[in-house]
Amino acid sequence: MYGKLILRNAKRSIKDYLIYIITLTLCVTMFYSFLSISSNYYHPSIGVQYNLNILSDAMKAAICAITFLLLFLIKYVNNYMIRRKQKEFAIQTVMGMEQKTTATLFFLETLIMGLVALGMGIILGTFCSQFITAMLLSAYGQPFQLSWMLYPDTVLLTIMFFTISFVLIGLFNIRTIRKIKVIDMLNADKKNEPHFKKSKWMPIITVLFSIFLIIMLVTGISKMYYYFDTRLPFSVHLMFWGNILIPAFTLVGILAWIFLHKKFGFSKLVIFLLIMALAATASSASVPVLQMKYYLALGTGTNNSYMIFLLVGLVFIICAVFYLASNVITSMKEKSLQKKYYEENLFFFGQIISKLKTTTKTMTLICLTLVLSISMFLIEPALNGWVSGYLDTRSVFDVQVLSQYNKAFDIKELPNTNYDFVTEYLAENNIQIIDDCSFSLYLPMAEDFHQRIKWSFPVLAISLSDYNHLLDMRGLDTITLDENEFTTQWQSIATEEERNEFIESHSTVRTDAGILEMASENASDAALGEYLYNNYTDVVYVFPDEICKQLLSVNRNRAIKTAEPLPYDVAIGLQQEFERKFPEQPEGVNYYIRTSTQQINSTTASNFVMQASMTYGAVVLLIMCFTILALQQLLDATHYKYRFGVLRKLGVDETHINRLVLKQLGVWFGLPIGIAVLASTVFGGYFFNMFSSQISAYIGAEILAVQILLIAGILLILLTCYFVSTWILFNRTIRKE
Amino acid sequence: MKQILKIEHIEKYYGNKGNITKAIDDISFEVQNGEFIAIMGASGSGKTTLLNCISTIDTVSAGHIFLDNADITEIMEKELARFRRENLGFIFQDFNLLDTLTISENIAMALTINKVPVEEIDPRVKKMAEKLDIVPILDKFPYQVSGGQKQRCACARAMINSPKLILADEPTGALDSHSAQMLLTTIQTMNQEFDATILMVTHDAFTASYAKRILFLKDGHIFTEIIRGEQSRKQLFGKILDVMTLLGGDLSDVR
Repeated sequence: MYGKLILRNAKRSIKDYLIYIITLTLCVTMFYSFLSISSNYYHPSIGVQYNLNILSDAMKAAICAITFLLLFLIKYVNNYMIRRKQKEFAIQTVMGMEQKTTATLFFLETLIMGLVALGMGIILGTFCSQFITAMLLSAYGQPFQLSWMLYPDTVLLTIMFFTISFVLIGLFNIRTIRKIKVIDMLNADKKNEPHFKKSKWMPIITVLFSIFLIIMLVTGISKMYYYFDTRLPFSVHLMFWGNILIPAFTLVGILAWIFLHKKFGFSKLVIFLLIMALAATASSASVPVLQMKYYLALGTGTNNSYMIFLLVGLVFIICAVFYLASNVITSMKEKSLQKKYYEENLFFFGQIISKLKTTTKTMTLICLTLVLSISMFLIEPALNGWVSGYLDTRSVFDVQVLSQYNKAFDIKELPNTNYDFVTEYLAENNIQIIDDCSFSLYLPMAEDFHQRIKWSFPVLAISLSDYNHLLDMRGLDTITLDENEFTTQWQSIATEEERNEFIESHSTVRTDAGILEMASENASDAALGEYLYNNYTDVVYVFPDEICKQLLSVNRNRAIKTAEPLPYDVAIGLQQEFERKFPEQPEGVNYYIRTSTQQINSTTASNFVMQASMTYGAVVLLIMCFTILALQQLLDATHYKYRFGVLRKLGVDETHINRLVLKQLGVWFGLPIGIAVLASTVFGGYFFNMFSSQISAYIGAEILAVQILLIAGILLILLTCYFVSTWILFNRTIRKE
Repeated sequence: MKQILKIEHIEKYYGNKGNITKAIDDISFEVQNGEFIAIMGASGSGKTTLLNCISTIDTVSAGHIFLDNADITEIMEKELARFRRENLGFIFQDFNLLDTLTISENIAMALTINKVPVEEIDPRVKKMAEKLDIVPILDKFPYQVSGGQKQRCACARAMINSPKLILADEPTGALDSHSAQMLLTTIQTMNQEFDATILMVTHDAFTASYAKRILFLKDGHIFTEIIRGEQSRKQLFGKILDVMTLLGGDLSDVR
C-alpha cells in the first residue's frame, strides 16, 4: 500500500520536483565527469613520457573538497521540498498516519527522485567527460580522440557518494519533519504577512568596513613613512596620498554621522560610504599597477595587501549596492507618477521592493558568489595559458644542466665541468643523444663578480660559437659578428620598452678584453630557455669567441637534445643521480638539472588539476547561485499565489499577469547577475591589464577571447535552464487551485 | 428607479450525469440602482455560487444575468477581466489586500488597472480615504493596521472606480464585533451617501440587518424575502431571526 503511494506520489509530483531533479542531475554530471579522469581504467593516449598518477590523486582531493559545497546545496533544495509539501504531510498525519511514517514516505520519495537524477547524471556525465578528456588531451598537447567508456570505479564512487549523501540528508529530513507540529504544517501556507523591515546585516558590514578603513589608513601611513620619496612621479604621489586621505576622510565622515545620525538616515551614510569605497578601491588598485610600472620599493607583500584591500572594497560596494537597490527603486517609483501609476507597475514595484528588503543578505551573498565564479572562469584560461606558455619557453631542450654562482664568494669555487656522467647515464639507458652543447657564461668585467645587489646584477655573456650552436639545436638561423662587436639575446618576458631602453643606453660595453660596439643586428629573442640569463636580468650579451677567452667564466651550462623524449622513470632516475653528485648547498656554487619530461609532467599535471578544479568549482558555484535564486522565488510561492489571485479578482488580464511574472523573474535573476557580470568585468579588465605583457607573451588575445565566449556560453545555457524551469514552476504555483 | 441587475431563471449544476447537484435552482430577482441587498442562507444554500456567477468568476448552467442591460453570461472569456474591472467592485472576507503595497497604493492599484489618468489618481485616493476615515493610515502597510481598517481600505478600493455594483462576500467574517459594526456603518454610508448598489452575502443576522432588502436562499432557490421599508433595524433584526428559525426546518424535520 505504502509502496503504491510512494510511486504514485513520485509520478504525480514529478513537476514539483523539477528544480530538485535538475540540480541533482547537474551535480552528479559534474561530479562524475571530473572524477572519471582519476579512474584506474582511464588510459588516454598521451605518450610514455607522461604519468597520470600524480594527477589523479590531486584531482580526487580537489573534487572532494569542492563537492562539500554540493552537499550544502542538496540540503537547501531538500528544505524547499519540505516546505512545499508540508500541507500534504499535515493531511497524511491528520488522517492518522504516524509522523514517522509520513517522514519515511517523503524520504523514499526523494530517494526515488535522487536515484533518477543519479542515473541521468551518470549518463550525461559520460557525455561531459568527453569535454574533460578533450581538455586533458589539449593540456598534454595531444589530438582529441573520442573514447566512449563507462568507468566502473568512477560509477561506483559516484553512486556511493551520492547515495550516502541522500541517505544522510534524508535521515536529517526525517528528524526535521518529525519535529514539526501538525498545526504548523496545516497552516504552512497561511503564515502571517511578512514584515518588510530591513535586516541588521548592513550595519554589521559597515562596522567591519570601518575596521578595514583603519587598517588601510595605518598601512597607508606606514608606507608613506618608510617608502615615500619626493623625486617619484606625480601619479605615485597621488597614490601615496590617496591611500591615506581617502580612508581618513571616510572615517571622519563615519564619526560625523554618529553625531548627526538623527538628521541623516543610515541610507545617507551608506551612499557616502559607497562613493568613498569606490575611491578607496580605485586607489588600492593603483598600487600594484604603479609598483610594476615604476619598480617602486614598497616592502614585501604590499601588492598582495593592496589586492586584498581592492577585494574588500569590491565586496563592500556590492553589499552597499544591494542595500541601496530597494531605496533606488523606491525613489524611482516616487519620482515619476507616470511610472508609478502605469498599468500594474505599482504591484510590480511592490513585489521587487519587498523581496529586496527582506533578502538583502542572500542576494548580496549570491552576487558575491557569482562574482567569484565568473572571475574564476575568467582567470582560469589566463593562468593556464600562462603556465603552459611559460613551459614552452622553459623546456626548450630535453636535458638542461646549469650552475649558479650567486651564492659563491670565491673565484676558485667556480665550476669547470662538462657533466660527463649525464652522458654515461643516458647511454646506460639507451637514450641516444643527437646534439649536445656544453658552454660557459662569462662576466664582461671580472670585478663585477662581487656585485650582488638585486637591481644591479651584471648581465652575462655567451660566446658566439656556443650561441650559434644553441640556435642550431633549436633549428634557428645562426648569426655572425664582426671583431669587437656584440649583440644581445632577450628573454621573451622582457617588454619592447625595456629592450629599447637597454639598447639605447648600451651602445658600447666595457669588458676585460676591451670595449665592444653594438652590432647592427642588436637584439634577438630566440626561445633558448630561461637558464641563459643571470638572476634578475632578462638579457645576455653575445660576444666574439676571442673576447670570451679572456673573460671570467662564472656559470657552466649544458643543453642536450635526445632522439626521443626521456621516459618518465629515466628522467626521475637522472634527477636523483644528479642530486647525489651535486647536493644543494647553502653556500658556494649550486648545480641544477632540468629534464623536459619532468617539467612537462609536473607543470602539465598541476596545470590541469588547477584548470579542472577551477572550472569545476566555478560551475558548482554557478549552479548553487542559480538554484538558490530560483528557490528564493518558489519558496514564497504561496504568498505570490495569493497576490496574483487578488490581481485576477481585481480584473487584471492573464496576458498582463504573464507579463508581470516574466518581469518579476527577469529582475530577480537579472539584478544579481547583472551586477556580478559588471563587477567581474571590472575585476577581469584590471587583471588582464595588469598582466597584459605576460598574457600577450604566453597566451595571445585571440585564445583569450574564445575562452571568454565559451564562459559566456556556459553561463547562458545554465541560466536559461534555471530561468525556464523557475518560470514553469512559478506559473504552476500561482495558478494551482 | 433604474434597474441595475436582473437575474433571470439562472441554474447552476455541479457533477456529472449520474450524480447532479443543483447548487442554484431557478433563481430570478432584480436589483434597483442604489439598493443595499443582503443574501442570507445556511452553508450549502448556494449563496456563494450565486455571488460567483454574478461576479463572472463562475459561469451559469442556464439562465441570464443582466448588469445594466448587458448580458454577462454572453461575454467572451477574454472580455471578462475588463468587464469585471470596469463594472464591479469586490469586498472579501479575508480583505484581499496586497501585503507589499501601502494602503494608499492598494487603493490606487484599482485605478491604475483601469488606466485612469495619472494626475487624477492621488486626489481621488485622498478623497475616498477622507470619506472612509482612513487618511492617517494611508502610508502604512496592511500588516501595520487593524482588521477593521484593512476592510475599510478594501471598501475604498471597491468604491473608487464607482462601479455599477459592489459585491461583498461575508465582509464582517474576519472581524470582531466592534470592528464589524463600524464596517457595516461604513458600508451603509457608502450606500446612502454615494448611492452605491451593494449586494452582500452573509449568514450573520446582525450583518444582514443593515441591508434594505434581504433574500433568503435554501437548497438553491429563494425561500423568502424581507423588505425593511420603514421598520427600524431592531425590528428587521427580529424578523430575520424569525425567518432563520423557519429556515432551520419545521417540526416535521425533527420528528
